[in-house]
Amino acid sequence: MAVIETYGISKIYNPGKVPVPALNGVNLTIEKGEFTAIVGPSGSGKTTLLNIIGGLDKPTGGKAVIQGTELGGLSDRELVDFRLHHIGFVFQSYNLIPVLTAIENVSFVMQMQGRPAKEYHQKSMALLKEVGLEDKIHKRPSELSGGQQQRVAVARALASKPDFVLADEPTANLDSVSTADLLDMMLELNKIEDMTFVFSTHDQRVIERARRVVTLVDGKIDKDEIRAA
Amino acid sequence: MIANIIKLGWKNIWRNTTRSAVVITAVLLGTWAGVFLSAFFTGMVQSYLDNQFKLTVPHIELTHPQFKDLYRPEYSIPGADTIISDLRQRSFVEKVSAQSLASGLAQSARNSYGVTIHGILPGRTHGVNTYLKEGTMPGNDQQNPVLVGSKLAERLGLEPDSRVVLNFQDAAGNITGGAFRVVGIFDSFSSVFDETNVFVTQSDLNQLMEVGDQVHRLSLTITDFSRANSYAQQLRTEFPNLRVTTWGEAAPELQYSFQMTDLMMYIVMVIIIIALVFSIINTMLMAVLERTRELGMLRAIGMNKTRVFAMVVWETVFLTMVGTPVGLFLSWLTISYFGHAGIDLGAFSEGLNAYGLGAVVYPGLPPGYYFNITLLIACAALLSALYPAWKTLQLNPVEAIRKIN
Repeated sequence: MAVIETYGISKIYNPGKVPVPALNGVNLTIEKGEFTAIVGPSGSGKTTLLNIIGGLDKPTGGKAVIQGTELGGLSDRELVDFRLHHIGFVFQSYNLIPVLTAIENVSFVMQMQGRPAKEYHQKSMALLKEVGLEDKIHKRPSELSGGQQQRVAVARALASKPDFVLADEPTANLDSVSTADLLDMMLELNKIEDMTFVFSTHDQRVIERARRVVTLVDGKIDKDEIRAA
Repeated sequence: MIANIIKLGWKNIWRNTTRSAVVITAVLLGTWAGVFLSAFFTGMVQSYLDNQFKLTVPHIELTHPQFKDLYRPEYSIPGADTIISDLRQRSFVEKVSAQSLASGLAQSARNSYGVTIHGILPGRTHGVNTYLKEGTMPGNDQQNPVLVGSKLAERLGLEPDSRVVLNFQDAAGNITGGAFRVVGIFDSFSSVFDETNVFVTQSDLNQLMEVGDQVHRLSLTITDFSRANSYAQQLRTEFPNLRVTTWGEAAPELQYSFQMTDLMMYIVMVIIIIALVFSIINTMLMAVLERTRELGMLRAIGMNKTRVFAMVVWETVFLTMVGTPVGLFLSWLTISYFGHAGIDLGAFSEGLNAYGLGAVVYPGLPPGYYFNITLLIACAALLSALYPAWKTLQLNPVEAIRKIN
């Protein structure tokens, strides 16, 4: 079952002035449960593709369909709501809310979804346990290491019960041990919960462990490699 | 979710404790200074009004309809005793006093000058008592006693025990008069009043005017002078044969001062609040702009514009409203203390007296003012919030994410 489908996606920045093409007719289908790395040199369009799939940016041409919903047909308000309920985000710089504790950061998304307090509290506890931070739930981001913060970010991304998690360079700021731990954890979640992960990366350690590697060059898919589990 | 937004807003203001503490302290001090200054102004104006009410203008006065035009003795108040008893029954009336009045000429060996002659009841407290500089008030045990103002004494060369002749009209329209002995000299805040008013006993004056025990003016002190107009309206209906004049009608400049107090209080506060508003906008703009990436992230993960806007508004409101109650409480404490103890401006008493002000100012504020100020500051807080909050709405999550990575 396809979670993400893109049809001839193209994106040109500054179309009226000095046009900068970022994507050029990208057709991509990602099935549920895939663990996909989008790779390519700088400027190849990885982040742009992730932004379009994540409903953060609109393509100049083509369309992106998530779980059967065409994002181009949604208003800005509907897109925000769609992101809240269908997409989990993990950012390179963790981007947790610094004034909230780990458990509050994870709960925050569920609070925005309007879930009952008891439910979001239990779910947050469970998620933080799942990412191995059950003893850090009341720590603020400044009291956690980079790896731990990224784990909280993954827990937050999963908290909304998304259709998939988009991670833009999730290991770029992590050391080798933290990178390995994070990948182990994401693969575990992928395996146990059948969670779909799509991430852009330069990191060879991440690429090596991805089940599918889509290589972008100059805004086009140059290679799409599916590896055996 | 709103509770969580409020909670997040509250936590956000403590990100930069020093910056928030500076703004909160500024709000606190601004509120305190503004409210206290307003109370001080109010106290000064109140002191001015009190002095005027005590000496020159009653809250409400009742006279014969034509008396004030011609000051003729025959225009007295018929049935004054009954009216006085009636007035004393009313809950809004604190004090009623009756005076005989005449317009005449004071003559000494050296000079003469036009004066208003007040016939007062000895033994009763009159406003002029307070300003007695030397000698005593006129009493029944003295022979034709008169109290004169210092300025008049100077002009006519009078001193205690000097003789002065007062000439005026009697009830029949003839010029009459008598020789009076100066028993006291008063020195009030108003040199014009001191120069143009003398006080004799009512019996002496009435006898010379041949008006029996008639009086020309009933002066009312009421419980709330600001409601003089409505009480006067009531009295006009009930005493259609008398002219009822409020202090505002008798002395429009006093009415103006009174109205200015209210205006001044709010002008002072608004100036301070405007300064605070800019300081708060500046602080909140810094707070918002340095969190662009985080706000972009919030938008990316599904926080809609309304919630982001609300969060920034709450932050601003908290930043403003934390200091406000403390500032108001401090103002209340200071005003309560000085409202009883007074602020002694004795060093400037001469200058203050020239303006009809007492040397001790008792700051005070109407209770509703605190509520109005709270409302005013709350509105200012909301106003300060709008621009920084609007800036967050301009944020494009994609650009924020680009900044992230």
